[in-house]
Parts: sequence; structure tokens; C-alpha cells
Amino acid sequence: MTGSDLAARQAALVAALVAAGPLPPGFTAGPVDAARRALLRKRGGEVARHWPLLAAGLGPDWPAVFADWAAGRPGSGGLRDGWDLARALRDRGVLPPVAAEELALREATVHYDGRRHPRPRRLPAVRRAGGAVAVQLAGRVRLLRPARR
Amino acid sequence: MTGPVGVGIGWRPEIAGFVAELPGLRFVEVVAEALAATGPLPDGLADLRGRGVTVVPHGVRLSLGGAEPVDPARVAHLARVAALVDAPLVSEHIAFVRAGGLEAGHLLPLPRSREAVAAVVANVRRARAELPVPIALEPIAALFDWPDDELDEADFLTEILAATDASLLLDVANVHANARNRGGDPLALLDRLPLERVAYVHVAGGAEQGGYYHDTHTDPVPAEVLDLVRELCSRRRPPALLLERDGHYPPAAELRAELDALAAASGHPVIT
Repeated sequence: MTGSDLAARQAALVAALVAAGPLPPGFTAGPVDAARRALLRKRGGEVARHWPLLAAGLGPDWPAVFADWAAGRPGSGGLRDGWDLARALRDRGVLPPVAAEELALREATVHYDGRRHPRPRRLPAVRRAGGAVAVQLAGRVRLLRPARR
Repeated sequence: MTGPVGVGIGWRPEIAGFVAELPGLRFVEVVAEALAATGPLPDGLADLRGRGVTVVPHGVRLSLGGAEPVDPARVAHLARVAALVDAPLVSEHIAFVRAGGLEAGHLLPLPRSREAVAAVVANVRRARAELPVPIALEPIAALFDWPDDELDEADFLTEILAATDASLLLDVANVHANARNRGGDPLALLDRLPLERVAYVHVAGGAEQGGYYHDTHTDPVPAEVLDLVRELCSRRRPPALLLERDGHYPPAAELRAELDALAAASGHPVIT
């Protein structure tokens, strides 16, 4: 095995674990699949730390909702993963009210284009999600209206 | 600052208040990537430093086992964090966390091959050249093996340590998890590891799920892991042992009981 072989084999293994790639030759499917699911749980835990109300709002459904969304979708870190998932649930109209408020507050204070790392807004902003309205002025943010319940 | 001594605990913001009130505490570990390289330190951690508590930055995203050279920016961050907390050493894993432009999201095992040994050794040397302090290397828990291992775990680790100046961060819960999930005798592994190289030891909880033992850090420390601590200490007592807890934090009394059990199993002074 050369160094480049090791690089290629590591890449194939990561692709199998996080990007729905095929199982690389010689590996045993059961244990690798268990590792894939364990990675999803770890990722879900990290997202829940960044987005506590998203996880809390979904309650017992959180692990399954996150795993369904994240399976085969490579991670971008807990902050961005949770942001992308919250927007996806908002667009489907299934974002829980407390999570909608969390999203509106975050969107009002931080700019995130869905591709690059989020960064603080310099200008005042008003953002809405699920009926919640958040307003940010000079870095101070508050909820003008709660989400629909 | 002195090296890690006695029973310690992984410092996390969620349990900062609990950790601050441990009267006998002499060392903690902090996730290196959770600290800003330019400071300031979180209040709780700064207070511990003020009390003379040793703080060891523990990296989780360096990917020392990656076939590619370690990212200089990540090494620089670890070096700055080490200086910020006046650390006596830093620690990282014998693992890789990304490849081919994709992040795995957690630590992945290496093939136990001479090429993988060479990759780790090269990256440890690259990192060591930029770090102000020594590094301790931690073998990980994994659920699966690569298909073509040339070495067993003891030889794999011993070759890496022999080719670097790194010390060993031995995770007893990982030893338990690997024996449970991948086979092998955990006591035979302890007999063959260079225990004189151990800088400190990790202990954590886990849970059975789907036919595997998962090293979750969010469950209680099982009796089997404490038994392994006793077995290790009967061979050679490490200078320090650290409890890792990363979520589902129990009431303070339960966490204190786990620290006390660790002190009792290792013979180190109670810190609670």
C-alpha cells in the first residue's frame, strides 16, 4: 500500500460512512453500518448543542428526524447542519414553534447564505419563521411576536 | 505547570459550576477546538487556572492519522491554546476524521499497517515541530476493523510510540469497547502496552445498543471499565486518570460518586 492508496482508501471509507458511498472492498457491512449510525447520533448531539430548541421542540422525534435528514448528507458542522435542517423543516411547515423562534432570532443576528460559515450581521434585520418575528438592532435581538402554536 | 496528577474531569461549560466546586481537583482537560486561540478563556476555566489547576487541551479534529499532512492552521490553533492555558502537554487521537474533502464527524480507525504507522508518525512530527509542549496520543474505540491489518493493536501502538516522543493517553473505556466489539483480551493488551509511557488515562461511560457497546460519554461508567482501571493500576498506576462526560449530565451526586469510584479503583486521593 502506498501513501496515495491509504488516502484513497480513507476517502472511500468516509464516503461510505457519510455520503452514501459503496462499502469499500473487504470491509464487513454490519459493523461499518453500526459505525455509520453512531456517527449520525454523534452529529445529532452536536447539532442539538448548537440548536437546543430545535432538538427540544421535536422531542422524542428528534433523533429520527435528524438521522433521516442527515443520512447520506456530509456534515458541515453542528451550527450549519442545524441551520440547514431548521430551514428545511420551516419550508415544509413542520418546524416546531420553539424551534421557529430560535431560527428567527438566529437569522436576525447572523447572516448565513447556506454555503459559507455564518457571520454576524452588521445592519439591523427583521426575520420571520413559522409566524415568529425577531428584530435585531445594533446587535441586540428580541422576539416581536411568538410563533404560531 | 506540572503534568496531570490524580483524578481529573473533562471541563465542559455545562458542568463548569460542578467542576469549580471540586476541592481536591488538580487537573482538567478541555476540548481544544472549543477554545478561541486568542482568548479570553471561559470564566470557569480561567478561575481553575488561577487556582493552579493543570489544564490539558485535548484535540479532536487534527486527524493525525490522515494520509494527508496535518493542517498547519489546526496545529497552530492547538499550539496557541496550549500557550493560553500554560499547558504541560496536549493530547490528540490516533485516528483520522476527514478524507477526500469529507468530514466524518468523529474519530475513525486506521488500518493497523506499517503505512498507517508511517502516516501517523509523520503527522506527529509535523505537529510536534510547531507545538510548545509534548503530545500524548490516544488510541480510539472503533466498531469495525480494516480488512488487511498487518499488526495487532499492541504492536501498532508500540511502533507509533517508538518512532515519536509522544506519550500515551490510554482510554480504558476504549480498551473495553474494542474488546467487546472487535474481540481480543483487554488484559492481554494491558500486559503488552508500554505502560511507562502513559501520561494519563481516560475513563468514560457507555451503553449497549444494537448489539454493540457504544463509548457514548453520556452514560454511567460500567463496572467492567472500573475493573479494567483496577487491572491497569495493579500493573502500573498511571499518574492521572480523567473522567470524560459529554452530555446527559447526571445530578451532581452521581457525578461525584463516579469520581470517587475512580479514586477508589486507582488509589488516587478523593477529589470531591
